[in-house]
Amino acid sequence: MASVFEIPVEDINDDSSTNSIENWDSLRHMNLITVLEEEFGIRFNDEQIIEMLNFEQVINNTNKVLNDK
Amino acid sequence: MKFSDILKNNIELGNALTGNEFKIAVLSNVITNQINPILEYYLRKEAVFAKCESGNYDNIVQEAQKYKEKDLILIVWELSNLIDGLQYRADLLSEKEIDDLIIRFKNEINHVFLELKNTSSIIVTKFSTMIFNHHLIKKNNFDKICDELNEYLVKSTPTNCLLIDVDKIFSKISVLKSVDFRNYYSSKSLYTVDFYCELSKIISPFIFSIKGKAKKALILDCDNTLWKGIVGEDGPEGIKMSSKDSNGVVFEEIQYLIKSLSRKGVIIGINSKNNADDVLDIFNNHKEMSLLTSDLSIQKINWKDKVTNLQDISNELNIGIDSIVFMDDSDFEINMVEQYLPNVKSIQVPKHIYLYPDYFRQNINLFFNNTLLKEDFNRQQMYQEQVLRDENKSQFENIEDYIKSLQLNMSFYIDNSKIVSRIAQLTQKTNQFNLTTIRYTENDIRALIEDSNSLVYAFGLKDKYGDFGITGVSIVKLFRNKAKIDSFLMSCRVLGRNIENKFLQLILEHLKSLKIVEVNATYIKTQKNIQVENFFNQIGFVEISNSNSTKNYKGILKNLLNNDLKYIKVTYEK
Repeated sequence: MASVFEIPVEDINDDSSTNSIENWDSLRHMNLITVLEEEFGIRFNDEQIIEMLNFEQVINNTNKVLNDK
Repeated sequence: MKFSDILKNNIELGNALTGNEFKIAVLSNVITNQINPILEYYLRKEAVFAKCESGNYDNIVQEAQKYKEKDLILIVWELSNLIDGLQYRADLLSEKEIDDLIIRFKNEINHVFLELKNTSSIIVTKFSTMIFNHHLIKKNNFDKICDELNEYLVKSTPTNCLLIDVDKIFSKISVLKSVDFRNYYSSKSLYTVDFYCELSKIISPFIFSIKGKAKKALILDCDNTLWKGIVGEDGPEGIKMSSKDSNGVVFEEIQYLIKSLSRKGVIIGINSKNNADDVLDIFNNHKEMSLLTSDLSIQKINWKDKVTNLQDISNELNIGIDSIVFMDDSDFEINMVEQYLPNVKSIQVPKHIYLYPDYFRQNINLFFNNTLLKEDFNRQQMYQEQVLRDENKSQFENIEDYIKSLQLNMSFYIDNSKIVSRIAQLTQKTNQFNLTTIRYTENDIRALIEDSNSLVYAFGLKDKYGDFGITGVSIVKLFRNKAKIDSFLMSCRVLGRNIENKFLQLILEHLKSLKIVEVNATYIKTQKNIQVENFFNQIGFVEISNSNSTKNYKGILKNLLNNDLKYIKVTYEK
């Protein structure tokens, strides 16, 4: 996530979201999805992608898709 | 390579590099932002300090003007999005409609090239139907449009422009690995990271050549690199390099490939651990040799280590060590050169010898030399103007003239209940050119139309090429002699034609007729509407407050009116 948003790893915590991270815009959001899908060999659907606008949901949905795999 | 590694390495390379940036703008009619870090990475790892930015989506002609000072403009023109859904609409278009469409985009191609005539370098991807038509046996209208536009591109490409055949990428890595239909249908982002990597690999030699980083010399080992066998052990009769011999066939091909590089100006040299006489005897007397001493610029045939020889070659030819490519079959030699001369590009002959010619071809682009210089531009300009004359098309001095030539006709709607569903849809779908991004349902819109203190404006647009339909909406609320612009938005399809300014003027004129004196407006920032953050400033509104995400404006109506943009005709709809 740090590479995607071009910020230090320390700046990312459980409360991080599109509101707290300025660089988390729609285009970088797509990069985040690409990176996660590539890393875990998974594929999100449209609704899941739209939900993942904070750190917690990113973790939740990634786990969910991983478990369903 | 993984996208996450590319992103990470690209940031690190960016922090390490200094000096002048090589500025690139990527213009496209689909979302291509993921190419920026990828292309940067492929260039930065060869020490070109590249900086990529994307132009506004789907606005290639206008953005060309904005970015023409960049070092390189990359244009990714996606056929299916020339008009919305061309891939499925094309077969239902009449012949006339297809011809009009082709003329329209030939015109756009002309304008882009004319606008960029003084830009250092341009790269344009050719149109392709592979993504949507690779199942088809017979050509359809979509193919027809593609073929005609490509033919035109080839014909009108100026000397500062390189055309890229994206079909080669599709055939190399497959269509399905090149596109992401999920992202295409959700956000007009069609291509994958894999596609961008391949495209970057194709583009980078061109940029290395511009930056004087193209490789100049190919330095070769002899035994098992130019021929099969070891001359010192097998003797002249025992080594093979002829297509008549199954062991030699590959080496004949390699020798021809090297020879044609030499014809193109690449320096060819030998770096071999052998008795010089043995090797020279082969070059001079072996009947099956294709490569001759006349093809060679330098020979180092001795028992010194190959690193020393390469350094000597660099000194004697007066070329940088980083402009040398070294090719050898031995692990030992390749490792040693890589370790001591990391700036030399080392290529090892594949263990499976039948892969050798293909591998060699993959590396030919290292020597890509762009011989086209800015000095050729006068000729290019003349040629381009001739093309325009031939086509009997008007020429335009600037974008304004181009817009005028479009014969824009705007239909203006006030509180029109016949178009409620389209108005609601626009408020729900429009993200980029949308000042407040307030979403309304059809019922909301109906209520606003009926409310005497609210006004729902909309516009439709036609030009000489066709009808865009209803593409813009504004909602205004009235309080005595004051008005507040609650919503102001339009589809990106009609951006870049000054339509937004005309629409606002029509609204202001109407408000004036209602005796409105003061107009208030708001900009609410979202992730997608940065491009309009100064829209109201540009019109002449005064910013009265500016918090994190909201800017409030006030304007005196009579000061906001102007009478420009007369070339946009207006039809007032009932």
